[in-house]
Amino acid sequence: MIGSRILLADDEVIFAGNMARLLNNRGYWVTAVNSGEEVLKELDRQDFDVVVLDIKMPGLDGIATLKEITSLGLLTQVLILTGHGSLDTAIEALKLGAYDYLTKPCEIDELVEKIEGAWGKKDERVKKELDENIKKIEEMPSSVFDLYPKKKK
Amino acid sequence: MKDNKNNQTPVEKESFYKYLLKKFTFLTVICSFVPLLLAGWGLAIYYTHFARTRITHNFSDQVDNHRRFIEQFLMEQSSKLRLIAYANTKDFLLAPDNLQSIFENINRDSGTITDIGLISSRGNHLAYIGPYDLMEKNYLDTPWFKEVMQKGIYISDMFTGFRNEPHFVIAVARPDTDGKWILRATVNTDVFRTLVENVKIGETGEVYLVNREGVFQTSSRFSGRIMEKSAADISDFNGTAVDILADATDETSDKYIVGRSWLSHPEWLLVIRQKYDEAFSEINHATEMNLIFLHISALTILIVTIFITRYMVKIIRTRDREAESLNSQLLQAGKLASIGELAAGVAHEINNPIAIIMTERQILLDQYENTNINDEEFAKQFMVSMDQISVQANRCKRITHNLLRFSRRTKSIIETVDLNSFLMEIIELMERDARTGGIRFTAALDEKLPKIKSDISQLQQVFLNLINNAIDAHNDRAIGSISITTRKETAPSGVSVSIADSGCGINERDMANIFDPFYSTKPAGKGTGLGLSICHTIVRNLGGNITVQSVYGKGTEFRVFLPFDIAPLDHEADNLN
Repeated sequence: MIGSRILLADDEVIFAGNMARLLNNRGYWVTAVNSGEEVLKELDRQDFDVVVLDIKMPGLDGIATLKEITSLGLLTQVLILTGHGSLDTAIEALKLGAYDYLTKPCEIDELVEKIEGAWGKKDERVKKELDENIKKIEEMPSSVFDLYPKKKK
Repeated sequence: MKDNKNNQTPVEKESFYKYLLKKFTFLTVICSFVPLLLAGWGLAIYYTHFARTRITHNFSDQVDNHRRFIEQFLMEQSSKLRLIAYANTKDFLLAPDNLQSIFENINRDSGTITDIGLISSRGNHLAYIGPYDLMEKNYLDTPWFKEVMQKGIYISDMFTGFRNEPHFVIAVARPDTDGKWILRATVNTDVFRTLVENVKIGETGEVYLVNREGVFQTSSRFSGRIMEKSAADISDFNGTAVDILADATDETSDKYIVGRSWLSHPEWLLVIRQKYDEAFSEINHATEMNLIFLHISALTILIVTIFITRYMVKIIRTRDREAESLNSQLLQAGKLASIGELAAGVAHEINNPIAIIMTERQILLDQYENTNINDEEFAKQFMVSMDQISVQANRCKRITHNLLRFSRRTKSIIETVDLNSFLMEIIELMERDARTGGIRFTAALDEKLPKIKSDISQLQQVFLNLINNAIDAHNDRAIGSISITTRKETAPSGVSVSIADSGCGINERDMANIFDPFYSTKPAGKGTGLGLSICHTIVRNLGGNITVQSVYGKGTEFRVFLPFDIAPLDHEADNLN
């Protein structure tokens, strides 16, 4: 979805920069950071649709960051982009609630495809949540402030 | 010690086994010989002592008895003579025929007395019965006459006297109203000698009597004749004893057992003598038997020990060889594992730069699309180069993927595999390459081959590798063949795939290192040396094994055995890694 907000984290500064630029070219709003800690900081500051996480990072690694994100209870979807060696960890990440994983190096189109998938899922969840909220509101007994009075049949 | 042994050369090992053989033999021999010899010697010493004591005792008893026997004989003769002297008057004895009658009566049973005579106190014969002519002789000056006149009864030593023959006399002096008169008898020397020598003492035994001065009173068999002087010194000897003595005259060093005993009257020494060797021949014989038994036992022990030791060393040698091959297998496994770790690290590190290259390429492509470039030639070349970058980057990805697979970090997917059709696909794939090189493929596939559960992508890597190697083995040959055979195996159960080529073969030196990583015979840059190593690891991980047979210059056969199903444990371990 053009205009989706992407947060991209990779300790390889050039890779993160290049990826940000490529995604930008394809119409996404991308913020690139280089560590897990920065990911959490950015999430604290603003809302993102998809987070793309590398697993092998100094300090807070991908898995730990993922755990933090999950604990925040956000609707943001997490996509794992990993070097081949940490494939088993990638599978672990899926169990922890990541949307999907990709192995480095990968074509940009593949990544875009996954991001779209992740966005779709997020969108679905947002809609679902919205529906639930609307339902809750509809089920609420009429209060003193009847802002939207139902039309009587 | 084990570690030392691993570092030893075959020559050192051989000398170690020899040392072991010697040490074991030595120890066993010592442990069995020492008790055997102690027991053997102990018994021999005890028995010898016991037997010698008994023999000596017997000898001593014999000497004692014989002495008593001789004493009794002399006593008897003396008593007889005294009875005659005291029972009759001188006149009666001088009367014609009376003495003759008494003489005949005494000698009726045995000719013990040679002659008998009646002698006056002045030493003249008053009467004489006997074979010699002695009536005129006067005995006044003879030693025995003086002795008998003093003591009343006397047994003389041997002397030759008037008759010039060795003899001894028994004389009794009877006091009478007109002085003493003497009854004298000569004991028959032959009878006395027979009596003295009447002792059974073997081949080398002898019995004789000597007087105080050491003069032989009877002839001995070996030591000297009657009336001769004995060489033995008896001046200090008293009582009765049995001794082991060297012969006084003999030049030889022969030892003798000598029993000696003094007679009470007269003062004669009874000597019974026998060669030591004869007397103790039984002991010597027993000792000999003992020694023979000891030697036979020792020999038996020695032979048995050598056999047992050889057998033991043989077992140790076999065990060592087994341990060694196990060690080398462990070493091989360890080597592969460490190489795997390294490969995984390298692969992971390479993936990042390649990822950057790919992004850079994509940036260029993006930029290119948004830029108006009129140069057709450049545009064409640009796209070709971009494609090539992508192709090569993907190739790198494949290599690192393989390296990671080698290190078993990738997850294997187990599915049902029809090996026959799978192999046919590979053969078709490879045939196109190989046909131009003049290589013909033949497949002999077992139609009833059961399907197996395995990792198809890993198997593909194994067979591609092996077939590639088989093709490469024909490098210097115009034509060749590669035959692929599948077969069901029963013990252990599974399937085996054989890939045999008619290529250059593998020499012995390379054979030892064939599954080592980075070991390659291909020219530098052509082979990584990882192919067979990866095959080896994959097949092992899939629960099978890979073996190779080769005749240098003739061809090589690789045989891959795969089980029907991977053991769950192996699979688990695979995932953990």
